[in-house]
Amino acid sequence: MKPVYFLVGLLLSSAATAQIKLTGRVLDQKGHALPGANVFLRGTYDGGNTDSTGTFQFTTLRSDTATLLVSYIGYESFSQKLTLDKSTPLIIRLQEAANELNTVVITAGSFEASDEKRMTMLKPMDIVTTAGANADITAAMNLLPGTQRVGEQTGLFVRGGSGEEAKVVIDGMIVQNPYFSSMPDVQSRGRFQPFMFKGTSFSTGGYSAQYGQALSSVLLLNTTDKTQNEGLGLSVNLANTGLSYDHTDRADKSSISATAYYGNLKPLFTLVRQNIDWTKVPEFAGTSLTHRLRPSKTGMLKFYGMYSASQLGINFIDPSSDAGKTAFNQQNTNFFTTSTYTDSWADGRWLLYSGLSYSYDTDATTFDAYDFGRSSERLQGRAVLTRLLPRNNSFLFGTEASRVTLRNTVMGTRYALHDNYAALFVESQTYLGRNLAIQLGLRGEYSSVIDRFNLAPRLSMAYKTGLYSQVSLAYGQFYQTPDYRYLYLNRTLTYERADHLILNYQIIRNKRTFRIETFYKNYAELVREFTGQPYDANPYRFPIGQTDNSGNGYAQGFDIFWRDQKTINGLDYWVTYSYVDSKRLFQQFSVTATPTFISTHNISLIGKRYFEKISTNIGLTYTISSGRPYYNPNSETFLADRTPMVNNLSFSASHITRIHKNLVVLYASADNILNTHNVYTYRYTPDGKTRYAVGPQSYRSFFVGGMIMLSRKAKVNVKDL
Amino acid sequence: MKTLVILLISTLGTVAPVWAQSDQYKQAMSQAIGNLQTQTLQTSAADLQAIANQFERIASVETKEWLPRYYAGLVYVYLGFTGKDEAAKDKYLDQADAHLKAAEALAPDNDELAVLKAYIAQSRMVVDPMNRWQQYGPLAQAGIEKAKSLNAANPRPYVLEGTSLMYTPEQFGGGPTTACPVLKQAAEKFTTFKPASDLSPNWGQKQIEPLLAKCK
Repeated sequence: MKPVYFLVGLLLSSAATAQIKLTGRVLDQKGHALPGANVFLRGTYDGGNTDSTGTFQFTTLRSDTATLLVSYIGYESFSQKLTLDKSTPLIIRLQEAANELNTVVITAGSFEASDEKRMTMLKPMDIVTTAGANADITAAMNLLPGTQRVGEQTGLFVRGGSGEEAKVVIDGMIVQNPYFSSMPDVQSRGRFQPFMFKGTSFSTGGYSAQYGQALSSVLLLNTTDKTQNEGLGLSVNLANTGLSYDHTDRADKSSISATAYYGNLKPLFTLVRQNIDWTKVPEFAGTSLTHRLRPSKTGMLKFYGMYSASQLGINFIDPSSDAGKTAFNQQNTNFFTTSTYTDSWADGRWLLYSGLSYSYDTDATTFDAYDFGRSSERLQGRAVLTRLLPRNNSFLFGTEASRVTLRNTVMGTRYALHDNYAALFVESQTYLGRNLAIQLGLRGEYSSVIDRFNLAPRLSMAYKTGLYSQVSLAYGQFYQTPDYRYLYLNRTLTYERADHLILNYQIIRNKRTFRIETFYKNYAELVREFTGQPYDANPYRFPIGQTDNSGNGYAQGFDIFWRDQKTINGLDYWVTYSYVDSKRLFQQFSVTATPTFISTHNISLIGKRYFEKISTNIGLTYTISSGRPYYNPNSETFLADRTPMVNNLSFSASHITRIHKNLVVLYASADNILNTHNVYTYRYTPDGKTRYAVGPQSYRSFFVGGMIMLSRKAKVNVKDL
Repeated sequence: MKTLVILLISTLGTVAPVWAQSDQYKQAMSQAIGNLQTQTLQTSAADLQAIANQFERIASVETKEWLPRYYAGLVYVYLGFTGKDEAAKDKYLDQADAHLKAAEALAPDNDELAVLKAYIAQSRMVVDPMNRWQQYGPLAQAGIEKAKSLNAANPRPYVLEGTSLMYTPEQFGGGPTTACPVLKQAAEKFTTFKPASDLSPNWGQKQIEPLLAKCK
């Protein structure tokens, strides 16, 4: 019996007396103390915090061995097995965890506006609150560095690229008709409302292998995952009136947003003097429906569909006609739908992104009563699988395919073509430590209309040069199927090609951002047309000459972005400057020259301020674009003449209030306050004796409107504007 | 005899710590909650961090209890208000989110966790209201609504809602006229509210006192 008692006694006494004191210090890799770190033994209550010198001490009743755990915000957790016999002080060095601040991000050639990422230069709200953008996404992008403003044409003109070289992509799907149908010499707005999107990424070149068919730029728009409001909303302004309805079910499993609008520009045109001779004032109507569904914890299904119809008529300045004017009439109907399904598995290590979209657009257009109708149809699918690996590394592969049908009528002659297009792409992102990241991509494409393949490598990398600064580099080859109007008559053409090289430096610190980017772009295999006639400056001509891919060109330059939200309290301002030097031999050019859509210098100054007392947000934007080349038949040198400089000062204000507890937003804007008579280009009569100036639709103009949320639940925060 | 000894020792080795642990849990929690209750607006980030650490240590032992995670998350929300810049605030709130997620896995559909979720969303919004209201405003409201529907007697969703309304100017649908009825509802619920246990959440009454004073 005795040994038994002895044994039990020994056990108890040893437990009571063997209190071990653990001491030590917690430091970072440079040897600086980390105060407030949590130091404890796994599975026990024994532990303590480090003091201001990084020192900890605590006691434990544990004997033998235990696992020491150390955690500290922003650092990798540390664990170590200890033998609890001697009490020599421990020195623990923690490794900083990867985060947005200390990890390099590849940024060459891209401008992001996102709510999800914190280190972006723009926020989605910036698109809506910037004066001069008029809540149009494209117009907002035109204030960013790397773009050229081309007042009389539609689209994004990026770093020496034409409007056709930039594609708009919604949730991964190329949008066939992102803008309202264009009419002669008038810039059209984008079809999509900025509030539909949670993130916008605008590439000025060197973009990812995930996208193709754009020689200069892609504008990536991602739709929101949830509704912004609840209930019915009504909006009225000088151009249109609309209704919206949003509803999210209680379990947050599904939500619906629906809109309907009718617009007529008559009220606006009676108030704002028009430079255009309208024969039918634009009238339009449309509707859209979004349904979002979460069938599982990780899955998300989104459906978006929209339909719109519009009609208008003008007499536009046409120096080639005897009357000097030509009647133009247009009726457009547009249908667009896209569905996407996203999901993830294995704790988010595998991500699936898939989508299907269909669009149909038709313009019943007449020039001088001649039928110039056109239609386009696009069906496309896309699937991307991404594997996330430790330390921010990732690998993705995907495919996309589309079938496009285009039809044009040119004075009674009908043209049509079908293009079956397929692409495969892979991309890897590798981090060599936190300071160096490399993204490698490869994209292969096939287009049936020209029956050709291409293989385009892409490379981008970034190196962190300091706590807040980094340099990035991007290189890539980009292919685009030639303009369909050339393909109607010649299917032996091959892809047009651009090679981009971009070098970027940026520093983001304490709400101030500075970024400079320089680029070189080489154009090859551009389509040239040989008509055997003198150059025809008519932008609406249909190309009927012989064509081949013997064209080429280049664009080079740099751009600067500076944004400061800190120095002057409450004021947020940005300044951008873009310089581009570009020459091409393409289209009807018989010699190399700078194209008409190039303005060498573009400057924009943007300021915004929120006035809390009057709950009003006020913005001012001033833009300057240097003159562009225009064709003068009397000039000996081709495209040597330059239009005058174009400048514009615009203003916008929005004010929030409540009427009978319903949220109301009122807004007003003024464009071209200085009433500058800007000239975009000149056109000559066939004899070269008379020239006409082509300018904006109106000079000084203004716009007012408002919206009301007919729901008590419509919640807004202090700084909603 | 030897068998008996081994049995005795092995029972000692297994049963005793379980008992002790349970007591230890209560004791450690009461101590940490006590520390938390003595905190004021002037409390330094270092002291708050020490309390967060305390709850984290308890959570690492008591892997089946949601309360240590809940309190750790709550302290990180308080820390979120102390951060020097946006990045620092978000770092704290990232921690709060991590604890919330762990707690939700242990206690799904818990009203106090819905309150915490709303509180985190509100704090995220305060970091950069201009750009974040669209994302976090509805999230905060959803948490408040969920908490109310899970437990109508819980005053804390009303505390968050009323406080937020009080600091929202009138033209945005806030101010005393809309905030006071909600705050009074909260105060009313505090008179009857009984926390489920000594360790259960029971904060908010003091927080709304100065606001209620403006309601006369």
